[in-house]
Amino acid sequence: MTAAAIDVRGLGKDFGAVRALDRLDLEVREGEFFGLLGPNGAGKTTTVHLLATLLAPSRGTARVAGHDVAREGLAVRRHIGLVFQETTLDRDLTITENLRFAARLWSLPDRVARPRIDAVLRQFGLWERRNDSVRGLSGGLRRAADIARGILTEPRILFLDEPTAGLDPRARRALWEQIRGLRAASGVTVLLTTHYVAEAEPCDRVAVLDHGRLAALGTPSELKRAAGVDSLEEVFLAHTGHRLPEGEGDGG
Amino acid sequence: MSGRAVYGIVAREFLRFLRQRGRVLASIGRPFVWLLFAGAGFATVFAGRNEIDYRVYMAPGLLGMVVMFGSLLAALSTVTDREAGVLRMVLVAPIRRSTVALGKTLGATALGTTQAVAVAALMLPLVHLRPTLGGAGLALVAIVLSGLALGALGLVLAASMRSIENFAGVMNFVIFPMLFLSGALYPVRHLGPVLRIAALANPLAYGVDLLKHALLGAWAKTGYGGEMPVLLDCAALALFALAGLAGAAPLLAREGGLARAAFRERA
Repeated sequence: MTAAAIDVRGLGKDFGAVRALDRLDLEVREGEFFGLLGPNGAGKTTTVHLLATLLAPSRGTARVAGHDVAREGLAVRRHIGLVFQETTLDRDLTITENLRFAARLWSLPDRVARPRIDAVLRQFGLWERRNDSVRGLSGGLRRAADIARGILTEPRILFLDEPTAGLDPRARRALWEQIRGLRAASGVTVLLTTHYVAEAEPCDRVAVLDHGRLAALGTPSELKRAAGVDSLEEVFLAHTGHRLPEGEGDGG
Repeated sequence: MSGRAVYGIVAREFLRFLRQRGRVLASIGRPFVWLLFAGAGFATVFAGRNEIDYRVYMAPGLLGMVVMFGSLLAALSTVTDREAGVLRMVLVAPIRRSTVALGKTLGATALGTTQAVAVAALMLPLVHLRPTLGGAGLALVAIVLSGLALGALGLVLAASMRSIENFAGVMNFVIFPMLFLSGALYPVRHLGPVLRIAALANPLAYGVDLLKHALLGAWAKTGYGGEMPVLLDCAALALFALAGLAGAAPLLAREGGLARAAFRERA
């Protein structure tokens, strides 16, 4: 049995009096495509930020790539890539300059970084625009550049926090193609957060989060069978008593 | 500590600076505007005294001002980094918070130093100030140490600010008092005791004093050179830099602005 890529036990986070995440227990296996499904404010982003050591847990523990997030932040960060909900590119730099900046932050030597940068630029369809300032890029291209940067460092575990938020359907499809290709090629563990049911369907397993609590956990078909329904949409309804809100959102 | 990461942070600061042509021009042009206008005005006040041309007296102070603007503004860009999200990406990199603080401070220092050296090359000949070799070396030390101190303190300021909207406050309550209490425009020793004590808490005062040691050595006897011991100036600047670095690192990673904002609405 291989060790879990992510092992979460009783993890919780409060912001003042608000309980953002209550007590979360879950395990993500090595190489798994894991989905965190829930509406805005369910605690998805909080979970990701806790696992990425950007927030300190209020209770419970979590191990990522075998390292404790509260005590071994540096070791955890060595193994993860994180694509934030909103772009974190430097708008004043070109795509290549942004990638080079990331490569240096991750201490990649130039001879390793240069071919990798070229490879991800081609892989994500950014080659022609590589010397363009990020400021002038469409949302879809920015997102692609964000993800390219996320995988540039070849993380063992990749967090994608609402990666398709704000993208048009075509850019969204292109992105899913890229993520599928990436998983097939590298076997990277992916933890995806989304409030779109359709995006959770291809996941190996899905955790349904609502109001900072784990409402259900299983493969999409298990969840549907257990709830006696045909869609994840109804799974969500069965477990939480309400529907996933439609449309765009930003919190989480 | 990761040397490559620090280098990456410094290199990015330079790239950003060079992209913003207005910032380059402002940083080079600003001291000359002061030399021209403040210089003309104060020179008339100084007129009765023949010991020193006021524009010569001003030169070290203006170089100190260039370092201050260069380093402090560069460090303040951390606020923009936070707003634009770039800081999050940096904080998720496998480097310590103290490495981020060091990189930012060194970047600010490098920018401040580059600007001050460029301005010195133009301004010193203009006011007919020819430093000795030793003086030029000491001036460079003064510029670098001031850059470190002001960069580190700027970082503390930036890390504790939520948005750049507070910038006017910083200008009025940090930058201007620091400039006027630095001895850049007039000797601090003529001020009352309260302001003189305030000047002791001002990092720029030590930087400007060191610059006067370096550049106004020939006027030391008439009382226009540096007033404090050179070593004290150096030690004070180094202390400000270390204190700033130590203070900035934990502040940089402070929570909030991330998931927190989303939950404030729910609260």
